[in-house]
Amino acid sequence: MSRDRDQKPVMPRPSGTFPPSEAMLAEPVPDEVQRVQQERLRKAWATPKGWRYWSAVNNSEVGVWYSTTALFFMLAAGVMALLIRLQLAVPENDLIPADRFNQLFTMHGSAMMFLFAVPMFEAISIIILPALLGARDMPFPRLSAFGYWSFLIGGVFVIGSILFDAAPNSGWFMYPPLATKAEGVGSDIWLLGLSFIEIASIAAAVELIVGTLKCRPPGMRVNIMPLYAWYVMVVGGMILFAFPPLIAGDFLFELERSFDWPFFDPERGGDPMLWQHLFWIFGHPEVYIVFLPSIAIAAMIIPTVARRPIVGYSWIVLSAVGTGFLSFGLWVHHMFTTGLPSISLGFFSAASEAVVIPTGIQLFAFLATLMIGRVTMTLPMLWIAGALAVFTMGGLTGVMLAMAPFDFQAHDSYFVVAHLHYTLFGGMIFPVIAGVYYFYPFIRKKKLSERLGRWSFWLIFVGFNVTFLPMHLTGLKGMPRRIYTYPEGIGWDWLNMISTIGAFVIAAGFAVFVWDLFRPKRGQGQVARNPWQAGTLEWSHEIPEEAWGVRSIPHVTSRYPLWDQPQIVERMDAGRYYLPDAEEGKRETLITSVIDAEPLQVQRVTGPAWITHAAAIFTGGTFIFPTFHVYPPAIVCGVLAVACILYWLWTSTARPPEADSKDVGLGLRLPTYASGPASAGWWAMWITMLGDATAFASVIFGFFFYWTARPDFPPDGAAHAEPLLVAIAAGAMAASWALTLWARGANRRGAVSLARGALVAAPLLAGVGGIGLIGSVWTLEPTSHVYPAILWALAIWVVVHTGVGVIMQVYCLAGSIFGKMTPRYDADIWNVSLFWHFHVLSAVVACAVMGFAPGVL
Amino acid sequence: MSEDRQKTRDGEVEEFAEEQASLWRITLSPLAWAAHFVICYGLVALSCAKGLPVESVRQGLIVFSVVVLALIGWIGWRAWRQWDVRETGDYLNQQGKAEDRHRFLGHAAFLLSIISFIGVVFVSLPLLLLEGCG
Repeated sequence: MSRDRDQKPVMPRPSGTFPPSEAMLAEPVPDEVQRVQQERLRKAWATPKGWRYWSAVNNSEVGVWYSTTALFFMLAAGVMALLIRLQLAVPENDLIPADRFNQLFTMHGSAMMFLFAVPMFEAISIIILPALLGARDMPFPRLSAFGYWSFLIGGVFVIGSILFDAAPNSGWFMYPPLATKAEGVGSDIWLLGLSFIEIASIAAAVELIVGTLKCRPPGMRVNIMPLYAWYVMVVGGMILFAFPPLIAGDFLFELERSFDWPFFDPERGGDPMLWQHLFWIFGHPEVYIVFLPSIAIAAMIIPTVARRPIVGYSWIVLSAVGTGFLSFGLWVHHMFTTGLPSISLGFFSAASEAVVIPTGIQLFAFLATLMIGRVTMTLPMLWIAGALAVFTMGGLTGVMLAMAPFDFQAHDSYFVVAHLHYTLFGGMIFPVIAGVYYFYPFIRKKKLSERLGRWSFWLIFVGFNVTFLPMHLTGLKGMPRRIYTYPEGIGWDWLNMISTIGAFVIAAGFAVFVWDLFRPKRGQGQVARNPWQAGTLEWSHEIPEEAWGVRSIPHVTSRYPLWDQPQIVERMDAGRYYLPDAEEGKRETLITSVIDAEPLQVQRVTGPAWITHAAAIFTGGTFIFPTFHVYPPAIVCGVLAVACILYWLWTSTARPPEADSKDVGLGLRLPTYASGPASAGWWAMWITMLGDATAFASVIFGFFFYWTARPDFPPDGAAHAEPLLVAIAAGAMAASWALTLWARGANRRGAVSLARGALVAAPLLAGVGGIGLIGSVWTLEPTSHVYPAILWALAIWVVVHTGVGVIMQVYCLAGSIFGKMTPRYDADIWNVSLFWHFHVLSAVVACAVMGFAPGVL
Repeated sequence: MSEDRQKTRDGEVEEFAEEQASLWRITLSPLAWAAHFVICYGLVALSCAKGLPVESVRQGLIVFSVVVLALIGWIGWRAWRQWDVRETGDYLNQQGKAEDRHRFLGHAAFLLSIISFIGVVFVSLPLLLLEGCG
C-alpha cells in the first residue's frame, strides 16, 4: 500500500500548437495514411450487424429510433383525437361512453406532451447536435441508449393502458381530489409511468447540455456556435428546473395513492392547491421546452433559405435565454380562477405579458433575415412560414388569456383548447415537420417528395385552421372543454361538426406525410451532399453514410463554416484536422473548454452494449410493478437495475487509459483522462444534481406551503420528529461527507490506505445518519395528518439519497482496491464527492426543517 | 509561424481572458428578475395568508423593486461597456476571435438586462395598481 505514498501524480496538460496555422492545414495527408486511418476509424465505429444491430448506441441510430417511436406515439395520440372529434361531431352522441371519453382526452394530452413533444426534441437533438458540433457522438452514448429504451418501455406501458380500458381518466394535469380518488390503476399508471419517462428525459437533458458545453469543435467559441446549440442549452437547463417539481409532486401523489398519506386531502390537513402549483411550475415552462427547440429548427433553416447569415444572432440568444427565464414566472396563469389574492394574479399576469417580448423578438429576427435575404421557397421554408402564421395567432390569444379578467370568462372553455393548439401546432408541429423535410437528406441520405410535401402541408394547414379556428367561437359560446357530449340547439352543433371535418383533413395530411417518410426510395439514387447549400457543419456529412460522425474534427472559426471556410470539408475528409485516426481501436471524441472551445482532452466514448437494455428493463420493473401495488418484484427489479448500472459504469467509464496523453494531429497532444471539473462526467453529475436539488427544494416548498396555506399546520398537540435523533442524523451525514472529501484529498496525495480507511468509515456513518433519520419519525403516524406525512416524506427522500451516496462510496472503495481508481485516475471520487456536496446540503436542510420547525412555527 | 500565432493568442488571453463563470454572468440580470419575482410573490402570498400588514409589505416591495431596477441598470451598464460598440463599431461580433466572444457576451448580457428591466417593471405594476388581498 505504502508504495503509492508521497507519489503525487503528474497531471499532463494539453501541449503543442493551437490554433493550427494555415500552413499546417494546407499540408496534404498521404493517400496511404488516409486509407489506413479510415479503415481503423471505420472498424472502431462500425454499427453492429444482424440482430446485434439493436445493441447500437451511436447517436445516429438511437436518435432515429427515438424519433420514430415518438412519431408513433404522436400518431396514436392523434387517433385518440379523431375519436374525440367523432364523439363530439353531433349533439347527444353515444358513440363513446363517458369514461372512455375521459380516458381518451387524458391520454391524448399526456401522450402528446410526455411521449411526443419532449422526447421528440431530445430525439432530434441526439441526431443533429453532434453533427452541428462536428463531434463524433454524444459524450455518453450509452446513456442516450438507456434513455431511449426506458422511454420505449414506459411509453408503451402508459399508452397501452388505453387498450385495456385502464388508462388515467382525470385529465392530463391530474388534479386532486378527482385524480387521487379515481378508481382503478389509471392514475398510478400516469404517475409512475410518466415519472419513469421524466427521469429518462432528464438524463437526455444532462447529456445534451454537456454535449453543448464540452464537445464543441476546437475554435467554436460561444459567439459562433450554431443557434440550435444555444437553444439546446437553454431548454436543457429548463428541463432541469421544470421537471423536478413534477417528480416531487408525483412522489407525494403516489404516496397518497398507495399508502393514503394525505398530502392533497383537505380533511387531514392536505391541500389540493399544492399539486396545482407543482404541476404548473412544471407545466408552463414545459410549453416553452416544447416551443424553443422547434423554433430553433427555424433558426437553422431560415439562414439557409435566405442565403445569408441570421440577422440578430445576439438578439436571438437574448430571446432564447430571456424566454427560458420568464417562462418560470407564468405558472399561476393556469390557476387564475382558484381564488388567489389579486396582487398575486397581477404578478403572473404581468410576467405572462412580458414573455411576449423575447418571444416576439426572435420572430422579428427571422422575418428580418428573410426580408433582406434572397429567399427560395423550399418545402422546409413553406412549413416554417405556416409555423410563423399559426404560432402568431396562438400568441395573440395568449396575450388575451394572460389578462386575468378575460381568463375568468374563457377558463376551461374551448377557447383555451383553440389557443393551446394554435401555439403547439405553430410552435412545435409545423417547425418540426419543416425540420424533418430539411434534415431528411442528412438523416437518411434521401430526399422527401416535393409534391407529397406540398399536399401534406396544405392539407394540414387548411385542416388545422378548419378544426381550431371555429373552436374560439365554440368556447366563447360557452362550451366547456372535456365534456363528452352536449345538448342540441345551443349553437354548438355546426361548429363542432366543422371542427370534426377539419380534424380528418389534418389526419389526411399526416397520412400523406407519414407515407412519404416511410415509402421505399430505392430508385431515387444518392442525394447531393449539401442539397440546400447550407452553411453549418452537419452538411459536411458523408455520402454514402459513415458511422464515425466526422472523418476528422475541424477547427472552426466562423458561424457558417461551410460558407466561410472554403476548404473545410475537403480537409475534414482528408483527415487533416483533429483525431483522424483510432490507433487503439477505441471510440473517441474531443472535449473542449466551455467558453472558447480550446481542446482539453480526448474522451473515450462507449460502444454497443446490451447492459443498457437490461438496466432499462429492470428500471422499468421498478416503476411498473408498484402501479399494481405489488412491491416485492419491484424491489427485486430495483436491486437488479442498480447492479446493471454499476456493472456498466465499472466496466466502461473512467477506466485508466493505456497512455496518459496522445497525439491528436496538427501538432497537438492532449491528455486522455480527466477528473474533476475538467471532465465531462463531473459536469454531468453537477447538472444532474442541480435537477435533483430542485426536486428536493420542491418538497421543502411543500412543507412551507402547508404552513402558509393551512391554519392547522402543524396541528395543535402534534407529535414532532425526535430532535435528538434528527441532530445525530445531521451530524453523521456531515461527518460522512467530510470523510469522503478527505478521502479524495488523501488519495490524490498518494495516501491510498488512509483514503480507503476513510471510505470504510464514511458509509458506516452515512448508515447511522439514515437510521437516525428514520428513527426520528418512526413513531409518527403518516396517514393521520399531512404534518407527520411530510416529515416522513422528507426522511424517505434523504434516506434514499443516502443509500445512493453509500453505494457511491463503496464503489470508490472497490475502485481503489481493484486498481480502477488510483491517485492519478480519480474521476470517480471527484464525482462522488460532488454528489455528497449536494446530499449533505439537502440532509442538513431537511434536518433543520424537521428539527427546528416545531419550535419556530 | 506557429510561434507567432502562439504569441498573438497569449496577447488575446491577457486582454480578453474569461473564466467559465462568464457564461453564467449573462444570466445575472434574469436572475435578478427571478429573485424579485419570487420575493414579491412569496411575501404577498405569505402576508395575505397569515394576516400580515399587506399595505406596508406592498410599500416595502415597491422600494425593493426600485433597488432591483437599479441593480439591473448597473449590470446592464457594465455589459454595455463590455460590448463597447461605440468604440469598435462592430454590432455583430461574429469572428472566431477572443475579442469577438468577449464583446458578444457583453452584448447578450446587455440585451438580457433590458428585457429583465422591462420584466421587473411589469411585475412591479400590480404593486402600484392593486391594493389589498381581495
